[in-house]
Amino acid sequence: MVEISFDFKEKLDTTIGGEMHSYCFQCGACVGDCPSARYSKRGFNPRRIVLQTIVGMEEVLLEEGSIIWECTNCYNCYERCPQDVRPVEVITAMKNMAAKRETNPEDVRSMVKTVETKGMTTVLTALVDKRRVDLGLKTLKEIPVSDIQELLTEKER
Amino acid sequence: MSEEKKYVPFFGCMISVKYPQFEAAVRKTMSKVGMTLVDLDGFTCCPDPIYFKSSDKLTWLTIAARNLCIAEEAGLDITTMCSGCTATLSETRYHLAHDEALKKRVNQRLKKIGKEYKGTVSVRHIVTVLRDDIGIDKVVASVVKPLNGLRVAVHYGCHLLKPSKIMQVDDPDRPTILERLLEAIGAEPVQHDANLLCCGKACMEPDMPAQMTFDILTSIKRTDVDCMGLICPTCFDAYDLGQIKISRQFKTKFDIPIIYYFQLLGLAQGLSPEDVGLNMHKIMPEPLLAKVA
Repeated sequence: MVEISFDFKEKLDTTIGGEMHSYCFQCGACVGDCPSARYSKRGFNPRRIVLQTIVGMEEVLLEEGSIIWECTNCYNCYERCPQDVRPVEVITAMKNMAAKRETNPEDVRSMVKTVETKGMTTVLTALVDKRRVDLGLKTLKEIPVSDIQELLTEKER
Repeated sequence: MSEEKKYVPFFGCMISVKYPQFEAAVRKTMSKVGMTLVDLDGFTCCPDPIYFKSSDKLTWLTIAARNLCIAEEAGLDITTMCSGCTATLSETRYHLAHDEALKKRVNQRLKKIGKEYKGTVSVRHIVTVLRDDIGIDKVVASVVKPLNGLRVAVHYGCHLLKPSKIMQVDDPDRPTILERLLEAIGAEPVQHDANLLCCGKACMEPDMPAQMTFDILTSIKRTDVDCMGLICPTCFDAYDLGQIKISRQFKTKFDIPIIYYFQLLGLAQGLSPEDVGLNMHKIMPEPLLAKVA
């Protein structure tokens, strides 16, 4: 049986990017131009996902392996939506909620860790500096990682 | 005397670390069109608009705003070379300009490191700066070796154009900016069936992006082009290194050279293939080089 969460709407309303989800009138303009809808074997459908948010299917949407992770972030739905729901942003808001529960994919968590600890998505090696010098570029300066770590939370460290 | 235009370059981590040949191409070509790049210290990852944004949007906005603050302190606009950096910094600028409460929350955190975001600088991908501020005529005037007869499959990627309301670059369904820039250097932009299809890279289900990339490469293969031309290192990653993986996975041989626009511009300005790092690509563009030599 599907569990319904009656306060999911409020939670989304107060998560950045989720605020507009209840304005969806289910026209489906987002689906026609969605590459994930076209390529998904599990039936990814942004219209249905937004409907599920309105109904309150919090557990289905936020559980590990949720279909929301099939979104490619192409922003076609954002372009098409006549109601300014911005399905991709509603999906991203749910990804933020999933991150809090740690039900987001391991690959995402490790990428985020890299940015938090190195200040970059890619790791610097000696080969990089050599390549840069070969191209006539300066070697890279140190990234102020301590600033990033300071900004990760509202609290004082 | 025309005044040199100054911009703060934001190369991002993908270009600085993984594909420095793109940085070299931008630096070497922009000096010839009257664009001065003023380097500033202290930037971090933009941070990335897919994974980091999916983890905690407030922190994403805050770290992006910190990067914007650095340019604000210097009083200069930012130009970006990666569609991902463009997306993060433009979206942040837009959201903080339209949501005072959000700006306050971001500034509360920035206060911890002694910064305040005001919203005084703009962020534009370098192709947009070329078209709107520098002028395509300057690009034309910088060409010494036009790439006549070079057929280039245009690839826009998603984040340069969308959301169009925020990005303000071009019509996302019928863009022309890259075609105009290719024509400016004598090349022939070639349309193909899947030219606006997403590469799928952000999708966490691995079969879907592979199939999308395969379809795009197949669509390009049918057009008999010399290369694919693009303006984003993440797209490049998906099609250069990615092409080898796709060839293996789908047992179909692809050998489409993938070239960053500013490398092509460099060739047209008389730079050597090594000057713009074409020798660092996985799919070597030898037939193309023979054609433009």
